[in-house]
Amino acid sequence: MREFDVNWLKERFVSGWGGIAWPVEYGGRGLSLTQQLIWYEEYAHLGLPGIDSTFVGISHAGPTLIARATEEQKAHHLPKILCGDAVWCQGFSEPEAGSDLASLRTRAEVDGDELVVTGQKIWTSFADLADFQELLVRTDPEAPRHKGITWVICDMHYPGIDIRPIRTMDGGSHFAEVFYDEVRIPLTNVVGRIDEGWSVAMSTLSFERGTAFTASQVALADCVEWLIEEARRRPAPCGSRPAIHDEEVARRLSRLRADIAALRAMTYASISRNARTPIPGPEGSMLKLHYSDLHQELGRLSMDVLGLDGLKLAPQDHFDWVHDFLLGFSSSIGGGTSEIQRNIIGERVLGLPR
Amino acid sequence: MDLLPTTEQEEIAAAARSFLAKELPESRIRQLADEEMNVDAPVWSAVAQLGWFALGLPEDLGGVGYGLPEEVMLFREIGRHLAPGPFASTALAARVAARAGDAALASEIVEGMPVGLALAGDGTEPVVGPRVSGRLTIADAMGAGLVLVAVPGGCALVETTALSGLTALPCIDETTRLADAEAYEVAAVAYVPTEVDDVFRRGVLFGAAMLTGIAEAARDSAVEHAKVRLQFGQPIGSYQAVKHPCADMAVRAEAAASQLFFAAVSAETGRPDAAFQASASKIVASDAARRNAAANVQIHGGMGFSFEQHAHLYVKRAQVLAHAFGTPSFHLAAALEGVPAA
Repeated sequence: MREFDVNWLKERFVSGWGGIAWPVEYGGRGLSLTQQLIWYEEYAHLGLPGIDSTFVGISHAGPTLIARATEEQKAHHLPKILCGDAVWCQGFSEPEAGSDLASLRTRAEVDGDELVVTGQKIWTSFADLADFQELLVRTDPEAPRHKGITWVICDMHYPGIDIRPIRTMDGGSHFAEVFYDEVRIPLTNVVGRIDEGWSVAMSTLSFERGTAFTASQVALADCVEWLIEEARRRPAPCGSRPAIHDEEVARRLSRLRADIAALRAMTYASISRNARTPIPGPEGSMLKLHYSDLHQELGRLSMDVLGLDGLKLAPQDHFDWVHDFLLGFSSSIGGGTSEIQRNIIGERVLGLPR
Repeated sequence: MDLLPTTEQEEIAAAARSFLAKELPESRIRQLADEEMNVDAPVWSAVAQLGWFALGLPEDLGGVGYGLPEEVMLFREIGRHLAPGPFASTALAARVAARAGDAALASEIVEGMPVGLALAGDGTEPVVGPRVSGRLTIADAMGAGLVLVAVPGGCALVETTALSGLTALPCIDETTRLADAEAYEVAAVAYVPTEVDDVFRRGVLFGAAMLTGIAEAARDSAVEHAKVRLQFGQPIGSYQAVKHPCADMAVRAEAAASQLFFAAVSAETGRPDAAFQASASKIVASDAARRNAAANVQIHGGMGFSFEQHAHLYVKRAQVLAHAFGTPSFHLAAALEGVPAA
């Protein structure tokens, strides 16, 4: 898995397609987010593999470092992320700190020029494959919740780290729990200042919600076209006509096609907005929320179109509908649940009281 | 590509917004509901002077020379404000007259002659060509000398007096004038087939624009109320049971607005999937307007159900507009047939 993702990333990097919107000084092309989007669209049309284990590095750890890290940190890490020499993972959620991220308890004590970390993270994607982690730790347990948190780069090869995979409902096990037992991390790995990691984490999350899903959003447009093709080929749920002649299936497909077109237009509008501000605003939560809803409707509708084939765990033609249906359940949970996105939209976009 | 409005487009919208707020306050809109004509004559001639009916018409046809993106910005404000009267059909009629070569009629319309709108029927599409036949349900025909009959194949203007059995009907929306009529082989005053100018698609986008404005206005009204209405000692907007529906309204409004701009740019630049983008815009905006209007009633509670509060006006206007320039079923069928997204 890692070998495939990394080799594929290297291949793209060598050919000049690695970091289209990344700054030139860190190995990118320095082009606009719009040009990055065009690449994602062409990539999705061709049905090429998802960027999986290289996602965190490319889409939110990298952009966070670009926005918030020191020149030294950037020079050290960014080129490696881009050429596939370093895979990154995320260490934010904890068993007792899910939606309530600010209640995180993984402790880090300063000892000389090092942080000593003890605690547990959960829902870390590709932890077993990663070289580095964007890790949130509590450095001041006495301070108010949002203070006293630090964003630090953790080398996943440090002693004291134990990784246990979590099996998920889609049959995969790319998520893991990560345990830290007095893991020593140099203070020079801190991004931003000590105890001021919350705002760095908010930058990470705004990238995650704002731009990191661009590739998935544009891919959804191709998925609905493939599902329309399936509905032309397959018989309707009851009868021998093609499924597309079933009035309910046809209406839902049409509706979904229109909604996904609007999601793409929202993505374009958001990219236009991001071209004017370096860090995405809370509007990204609207995209994330809408994407999750539409991804799940695609899953439900694909199961209706597939009929009994939807019960069979063999890849269906060129797209694995069954797996995508199951994976869809994570859409409204990962990267902040849909409930949290609605809070953010309500409070930070609409200005409703907390 | 930049999908956000330019400063100039923002200025057009802002000017329209402040004009409507000043000249057509809600109290005046409610008065018009009870008057024989729902068009305020001084306002109507003032907007004609401002060029609202000629905004997107090329300058060589006597227009202001802006494009669809500017026009949808204007109609979004008209929808947001619930301005009563046949704004969309009048602007489109000026285009039909101009394209058909009747410059005198075009300038008469541009200068303020209101033109009613035949709404699309379900399965009873009129036959539209140089002659027009069929059963018509018309919005804002009363007091209008002409009616625009717009179907995907082309658009015609017919004289109201040439129609048979024109009967005024009470409308679900008190600020829209509704009438039934029949056309038997009525000679069109002007006719433009879609190959010459796709006036119908322009209408679809004007409809989507007004519906988007309603979706946004209903969102704003609900949010405003949720911030100030206190229950159990707190603003109701602090409760997730109210905050989350507001967030959903914001998403629907954002989706409708983004798709509206994208569809307008697609039509303006002749993208091969422009027809699909326009239908998608109408589908998404109809849904956003109707669901946001409903959510706004709910968030206003008992007052939302009252006649006095304005929440019901959004519900009703959205219902009328959902049936203008193609019903929801028409666009759902069209969006499945359209060219796949490129």
